[in-house]
Amino acid sequence: MKKFGRGLATIMFGFGYGEGFPDHSIASIEIKEDERIVIRTAAADVGQGVITTVIQIAAEILRINPNYFEVVQGDTHKTKNSGSTSATRQTYFTGNAVKKAAEDLLANLYHYGSLEFRSNHPEIAIEDGKIYMYDDPDDYISYWEMAERVRERGKKLEAEGSFFPVTYSPDQNGQADKVYVAYTFLSQVIDIEIDTDTGTIDLLDVYTAVDLGKAINPKNVEGQIEGGTVQGLGMGMMEDQVIRNGKTLNAGMTDYLVPTSVDIPKFKHYLVEEEDSEGPFGAKGVGEPTLIAAAPALANAVYDAIGVRFFDLPISPSKIKKALKEKEKEENS
Amino acid sequence: MTDQNKRIKDYFCKHTTRCTIEGVKKSKRFVGHDVLKADAWDKVTGEAVYPDDIFFDDLLYVKIKRAVHPHAILKDIDISQAKKVEGVVDIVIAEDIPDVRQFGLIIRDQPVLIAPGEKMRYMGDPLAIVVAETKEAAKKARDLIKVKVEELEVITDPFRAMEDDAPDIHPDGNIVITHHLNRGDVDEAFKNSAIVEENRYQTQFIDQLPMQNEAGVALYDERRGVINIWAATQWLHDTQADVAQSLRLSKDQIRIIQPTIGGAFGKKEDVSVHIHLAIAAMRTGRPVKLCFTREESMITQSKRHPITIINKTGVDRDGYLTAWETKFIGDTGAYASSGPAVVHKGMYHATGPYNCPNLRGVSHAVYTNNTYAGAMRGFGTAQGAFAYEQQMDILAEKLSIDPAEFRLKNIYQKDSITPNGQQLTHSVNAEETIKRVMELSDWKGGRK
Repeated sequence: MKKFGRGLATIMFGFGYGEGFPDHSIASIEIKEDERIVIRTAAADVGQGVITTVIQIAAEILRINPNYFEVVQGDTHKTKNSGSTSATRQTYFTGNAVKKAAEDLLANLYHYGSLEFRSNHPEIAIEDGKIYMYDDPDDYISYWEMAERVRERGKKLEAEGSFFPVTYSPDQNGQADKVYVAYTFLSQVIDIEIDTDTGTIDLLDVYTAVDLGKAINPKNVEGQIEGGTVQGLGMGMMEDQVIRNGKTLNAGMTDYLVPTSVDIPKFKHYLVEEEDSEGPFGAKGVGEPTLIAAAPALANAVYDAIGVRFFDLPISPSKIKKALKEKEKEENS
Repeated sequence: MTDQNKRIKDYFCKHTTRCTIEGVKKSKRFVGHDVLKADAWDKVTGEAVYPDDIFFDDLLYVKIKRAVHPHAILKDIDISQAKKVEGVVDIVIAEDIPDVRQFGLIIRDQPVLIAPGEKMRYMGDPLAIVVAETKEAAKKARDLIKVKVEELEVITDPFRAMEDDAPDIHPDGNIVITHHLNRGDVDEAFKNSAIVEENRYQTQFIDQLPMQNEAGVALYDERRGVINIWAATQWLHDTQADVAQSLRLSKDQIRIIQPTIGGAFGKKEDVSVHIHLAIAAMRTGRPVKLCFTREESMITQSKRHPITIINKTGVDRDGYLTAWETKFIGDTGAYASSGPAVVHKGMYHATGPYNCPNLRGVSHAVYTNNTYAGAMRGFGTAQGAFAYEQQMDILAEKLSIDPAEFRLKNIYQKDSITPNGQQLTHSVNAEETIKRVMELSDWKGGRK
């Protein structure tokens, strides 16, 4: 028999290292004469999309199409410390560092532009890679020409930005004024169906609402929600590295079960975008929060479906079958 | 991409990513738009360079001989047969590298190679580095290394590890670190609660399972005195520092270049291939490559912590949380890795996003002889949520309240105080997420 169940979970996640740990990111941007804008950051793109995120931020500030950007990342000898791609921190930390560098560069475009046009900042327009006087848009200097002229002045059209917010180390009671830079919140409802004969869980629908301040790239946020949730559902219903007497019994993808495309439920989500955080354009991190609600929402859905609560993970078909049998026995006695 | 005519400088240029974008050409705004991922094209077309795509004509292959028992003293290691295998260039054991220091993310407790008289603490501990002309030769030689050990009690459970008569896995004892949370008067609040609910939760070992296993290539530039390492890490400059201190070199002498990273999820925070590659490259003077198999990756590199969570939660008659007592016991396995930060981060989120004035908690990260646990997406709080969100549903049922309504009653607002005593001064829209998800799912008292 198939039994329907629905579960809700709401979670929080304090992101960044926090706890007074020195947490910062350094980035730089250079406008080159050969029509490239180069961003340098050590932020590791592990697939989450930080490269794209920082390009969007820099493109927005510098008012030029993302096509012109090139990101140099992942070389200790060409980049400075950006901190780790972990703790849900890169959009917030490196995003802010890049934004600051871009703002510095924009300000310098105005500065050098005003020197070239012998004018004041308010009379100058900067957009689409061009600097010109409002009253004569045809007589413009491109960013690339400007890079050349700045070089002729013995300088480079580049800027470095750093972001280094303060947090405090908790005392012996775990208390401090500011332990994390900010929190991301997320609520999720998961609908499932349990086959009471086999104990298997069918994942039906997942509904997610996340308080993320601002989505720099909504499609990538969607990717995080779906990927994170599926990884969390793996934790909830199947993943288990079995280590007995110190030895792993299932070291391989034949015996270590992980969700595959046939397990993926349908997704609907809502982004709460209040733009009220101190991240770039009000953004907060979403990487880890998207995983966290899945296992508890699933556990609550399982209880809703069959009236059995599971206190240990994963909630596997064999555990469900065993619990249903015990429940039946109890009800009959 | 295995174009064998590539030169070293080509591999230095490949980590740049040119952003190619369609569809937003006319827009003036780029934040808030679905800009195509800058690295998508290279990944889809196979242009992206992963470590195993890096090739040099005189490349050597590395394999690691690992522990034969999860907790044992190494008595003897015999490489004589292994050395005779055709194509073997070098076999490195601990006595060859006496100056090399231990490494580790937070506590430097991981040995580069186990020496006779020292202990292996889990099945991933390295005993020898085998370098050969082919992968097959390296593997054959590795399997011919003979090891004698004196077996010790294998500690598989953190509760056993914490007992007085349990053998110490590390010299300073088995409890790596303990943290506390204390706010308000928990005992008094429980006394005055309408319902008190106590449950014990248990989570499991999970592999982060990125598509790409640990892999890397290293090349020693003798003229400059720089070791170039192409291998993934989630924190470039921290890994650089850890490798440099272990080898007693300056940071400038360790250049790490990220090839394309095929996923990480926390697993690539720890050093994996880096130090062994650097040693092999320096000793042979030739480029070297080391790629883990999936099996090796699962046994050797970090796991999600199994955490035992005991939650005692009180509510008053009106459905407001009164007190929360919690214990987090995390199995961090053979080495600390991120464990000293993971377990208490979980505890710092023990109540979820709900107002609770009285709080008491303790967390321990504990050594065992299991594969070490470290960072994984959620970092202790995923385990914590499994426990606190079931507490919330159990209490809602006992109070006969809709679980969503129960959450809304207790949910953080601006100026709420977290378990750490942090006042939330901005960006607190937790209530909105509940309301929106209720709307989205057509929530009707928990039933469809």
